[in-house]
Amino acid sequence: METKFINESGFQDFVGKLVESRNLLGPVAKRNKFVFGEINKYEDLRLDYDVTLLPPKKLFFPPKQDLLKFYGQKGESCIDPVPQILLGVHFYDIKAIDMTDLLFRENNEDYNYLANRECTTIIGSNIQNVSARAFFGSVGTEVEPKGHDGFLTKIDGGYVFEVITAKAKELLQFGDFQDANENQIEQAEKVNAEVLTKCPEKLNNTSAEINEKVRNSFYSKIWEEIAEDCFSCGSCNIVCPTCYCFDVQDDWYLDQETGVRARSWDGCLKEDFSEVSLGQGSIENFRESRGSRYRHRLMRKATYLNDKLGGPACVGCGRCSSVCTSDIADPVNVIKQIMEE
Amino acid sequence: MSCENCNCSNQANYENIFMPKEAKIIKTKMSTASEKRFWVKWADGSQAKFQPGQFLEVSLFGYGEIPIGYASSPTFKDNFEIVIRAVGRVSNALHKLEKGDSIFLRGPLGNGFPMDSLKNNDVLVVAGGIGYCPTRSLVNYILDKRDEFGEFTLFYGARSPKDRMFNDDFDRFKNMDRVNVLETVDKGDETWKGNVGVITTLFNKTDKINKDTRVIICGPPIMYKFVIAETDKLGIPHSNIYVDLERRMKCGIGKCGHCQINDKYVCIDGPVFKYSELEDREEAF
Repeated sequence: METKFINESGFQDFVGKLVESRNLLGPVAKRNKFVFGEINKYEDLRLDYDVTLLPPKKLFFPPKQDLLKFYGQKGESCIDPVPQILLGVHFYDIKAIDMTDLLFRENNEDYNYLANRECTTIIGSNIQNVSARAFFGSVGTEVEPKGHDGFLTKIDGGYVFEVITAKAKELLQFGDFQDANENQIEQAEKVNAEVLTKCPEKLNNTSAEINEKVRNSFYSKIWEEIAEDCFSCGSCNIVCPTCYCFDVQDDWYLDQETGVRARSWDGCLKEDFSEVSLGQGSIENFRESRGSRYRHRLMRKATYLNDKLGGPACVGCGRCSSVCTSDIADPVNVIKQIMEE
Repeated sequence: MSCENCNCSNQANYENIFMPKEAKIIKTKMSTASEKRFWVKWADGSQAKFQPGQFLEVSLFGYGEIPIGYASSPTFKDNFEIVIRAVGRVSNALHKLEKGDSIFLRGPLGNGFPMDSLKNNDVLVVAGGIGYCPTRSLVNYILDKRDEFGEFTLFYGARSPKDRMFNDDFDRFKNMDRVNVLETVDKGDETWKGNVGVITTLFNKTDKINKDTRVIICGPPIMYKFVIAETDKLGIPHSNIYVDLERRMKCGIGKCGHCQINDKYVCIDGPVFKYSELEDREEAF
């Protein structure tokens, strides 16, 4: 790995050249929030964003994705990835992408996701502003962000650029990069370390302690108590960077001869997620109560996947906390209550 | 198209795990008023290769996919059977298919029954309603390789005589040696001369089951705990009991999440589980 430096004006030119020659995506403003979207000029890129409404998973695993096209009785694969550069991903989202990479690869490789992922160059960036519900400084601290190609850190007068993979190295041609000096590297390390202490919310236990206590609290009354206010809307699932459950449906086009088999984001908080038809009009729902669905999400985030991922499937972005209508989704609040039980 | 910023030069060759294979329907038969039996053959002429207890994602373009267990034994290689109960959009569309039509399948999926643990042991299969279909793959396997197993008992319970499936099987079993088959219906009618009562009432009607018998259970969710109360009375350890579960599945490959039981995926960790693995999981039954 090599570490480079580029000054402020050089960085502007660099982004300008990427816009000209590549399909560049990054954080952009949308009214008073931020989203990952197309960068068409340097000014679009808002590396000062706090958090985006949706996580970057939408760029590899779109909210609705065609899996197969069909023409009468013939099916055709829809895997057709578009090369893209994703610039400005915070480290918590990098961790989440690495987790979904593993989950779509394990057991059965799903190239509907993996092909998009392989055709993406990910350049992370440091967190310049911290969102109101973030707790990335205290969750899953044993899980290192990895799987990205490079990482930018804003320091006095410019950016330090860690070049991790050949995909990132190839981008050096577009900017006037110098080798970073020790002072610049130290400054970048300091910036990235300091932001971890600035989260408004904080977990007070290790992942291992939380894992054990949450798992042993399966039969606690707490789940039904908290979930009494749950609308089963699934917003917490939709905005979660590590949620990847989906539904699959077939749709005809208007000609009623061709159509698509498409998947769309689904969520375990939704009432019908685990329903099975038994025939003669009867239905079995294996997570019938709101509490059981609420518990399942938290178990998935805090315990079920820990062995596989090396830590919790929560990265502390705080998105679920901020979108939950009744403000019951915040993992920090639930985990604190469970730890105190 | 080649990719300008990565090495994915083979992208035209990405395998799509959701692409089903075509199969041809060679025969159909209504088993009951709502269940239709299909005899199927791979369109490319390949043989049926699967383990008893595995399943397929069965689809029809424009309607969707549903998970269905193999209802025949892999010892019969020429074709295989599936049974579809008409309950929703996909299954009702599949019911319209007849001999000569194409059907689209992904599989075999899932783990299947633990043949190593069943071989050389006494086996009891407890099948309630449509639960007989996936377990039939095992029943016929055992009957085709009869010498590899000890005592074999099948309990089959249907709601009523009209809901009985595979009457041809049960007629055939009557003439076979070393096959202990007991049937019951929840509610009889004037034609029915056999047992009446829930499936657990059959436990008192045979002496072929003992504490070392391996038990396979497949049926409606409510059935499991009552059957296990009976096997508990016989002292059968929970690690010798296997349950074959049904769940909503959208992918069948461990991704979509619908079939999760706590930390397990029914589609890849199951659909067959040791009961001892699941008994403390509230979401299992």
